[in-house]
Amino acid sequence: MHEISQPATTTLAVPRNRAALWSIVLTMAVITALTALTANSYWLTTLTSAFALALAARGVGLLYAQLGLVSLAQMALVGVGGWVALRLSHGTALPFEAVVLLAGVVTSIIGMIWGAPALRLQGLYLALVTLMLAGAFQIVIVATGFPDGGPGLLGRADATQRLMMQRPALAQGGTAYFIYVALWLTAGLVLVEYLRLGRSGRAWALIRRGRAAAQSTGVNMFRAKMKAFALTGFLAGVAGALLAGNVGQLDGRSFSAPESLFLFALSLVGGAHHWLGALLAGLLLRAVPSLLTDFGVSGYAATVIFGAALMHALITAPQGIAGQVLALAARLRKPGKE
Amino acid sequence: MISIQDVTVQFGGVRPLNALYADFTDPICGLIGPNGAGKTTLLNVLSGFVTPIAGKVLLDGLDLLPLSPEERFRKGLRRSFQSEQVVDDLTVWDNLMAACDNLSPASPNPEAEVSRALHFVGLSQDAQRLGAALNLFERRMVEIGKALVGQPKVILLDEPGAGMSEAESAILRQRLLGIPPNFGAQILLIDHDVDLIQATCSQTLVLDFGEKLALGPTAEVLRNKAVRNAYLGVE
Repeated sequence: MHEISQPATTTLAVPRNRAALWSIVLTMAVITALTALTANSYWLTTLTSAFALALAARGVGLLYAQLGLVSLAQMALVGVGGWVALRLSHGTALPFEAVVLLAGVVTSIIGMIWGAPALRLQGLYLALVTLMLAGAFQIVIVATGFPDGGPGLLGRADATQRLMMQRPALAQGGTAYFIYVALWLTAGLVLVEYLRLGRSGRAWALIRRGRAAAQSTGVNMFRAKMKAFALTGFLAGVAGALLAGNVGQLDGRSFSAPESLFLFALSLVGGAHHWLGALLAGLLLRAVPSLLTDFGVSGYAATVIFGAALMHALITAPQGIAGQVLALAARLRKPGKE
Repeated sequence: MISIQDVTVQFGGVRPLNALYADFTDPICGLIGPNGAGKTTLLNVLSGFVTPIAGKVLLDGLDLLPLSPEERFRKGLRRSFQSEQVVDDLTVWDNLMAACDNLSPASPNPEAEVSRALHFVGLSQDAQRLGAALNLFERRMVEIGKALVGQPKVILLDEPGAGMSEAESAILRQRLLGIPPNFGAQILLIDHDVDLIQATCSQTLVLDFGEKLALGPTAEVLRNKAVRNAYLGVE
């Protein structure tokens, strides 16, 4: 009656998804090379910031697209990473790479603590709680400022003796530092993609599908969610450290609650489902205001453009600009097909 | 074997299950009853989504009630839901692999397990298709395939045949019959399709208003006068 035989089935060949990881490396290499060869120092600094923020955007995008969670505190976490990096850089003799990694680890822990409400809350409630955390961080950082070589825990110097964070020995110049940040970004994007395509990604997908689906498939929701928040925090921390290295100092006003909102909104506009979207979000955050300034328009006009872009994304392009670009590319590859 | 002993569930003033005793001993057991009889509630009690106020549930002698749904999964309990839970942006392969990921102890050869389950449900050729591209029948098959990885002991299926055509239902029937001999798992099946129950289940429990109306060999149970009155609408 059943033609299914016990041992006869052969193991199916499964593609290993290596191609997806290599495509990130290749695309990033091309973009970085072209930019390094053509951009002037003003644009190099701008695009370095954009690349650093792309890492943070990948984090919020991951939470939103993979787990269906809205975190509105990501820019505050970038600030945490920046604070830790500046404090370590001025207070210790650790090499730059160690400072970046430690900033990532500390921020990852804070990210998990801030993410704890997500074990119970989701949707609007989680968004509100994270927004309040971003607001709380804003109040603290505006009051205390970022470390700039002074003594004590806060590391604040008086205005005459402010120190700049030293860039890595390997990458002192603008172009070199841009390539250095691009390497971190590439590594971060590859890490996220690797996890997304593997076991963690499958657990996240089930959580997004629903509690019943996840639990009846044996997913440990606590561990899976904490892993996502740890990763998101780590990316934010690394981004903060790289931003601190870019200019040498940080300004508390850059990490306010509205900035966290922008970061989330632009992650949606860029496309939270694909790593390319994070890159676009970084560019939108930093390059668009600079471009407007280049054209003689106030950079603040970008806010209006972002609002319109967000409406556009929410109404017509749920996968963001990245989704539209990829759909177009797919259509060009297979002409004649829908 | 699943043994339900004196299980009572209370939601406010309602008792969807009231002092229920039932032992499921056959390889495929049916669970039928009119709407609101407590069928899905019983499945929720077994899988850990509803906690009864009294009673015991044993799976091969193991007390399930203290365990979380995740722990029950690891002990070999699987279930499908009335509304299928296939993940649209994972491939068929990954939908099954997601279950393999959470086995404890880990499967020594997850690829082989997933391949075998896919072959059994007839989706070998569709391993790389996305969940979103599947039709209803294929989605139901993905769910059954997912239940088959990791040496399941008991598979709870909540209306797996809902919305299927005659031909699809016939294939489902064949596959269900093949599960106990090929995978060693016991099946507890809820369905409104009495033909499906008759064709697959040797033992059937009929619930009505949270209480046992009949439990025994399917043919006998379906001949039972009380069952025909309550469920089949025959006077």
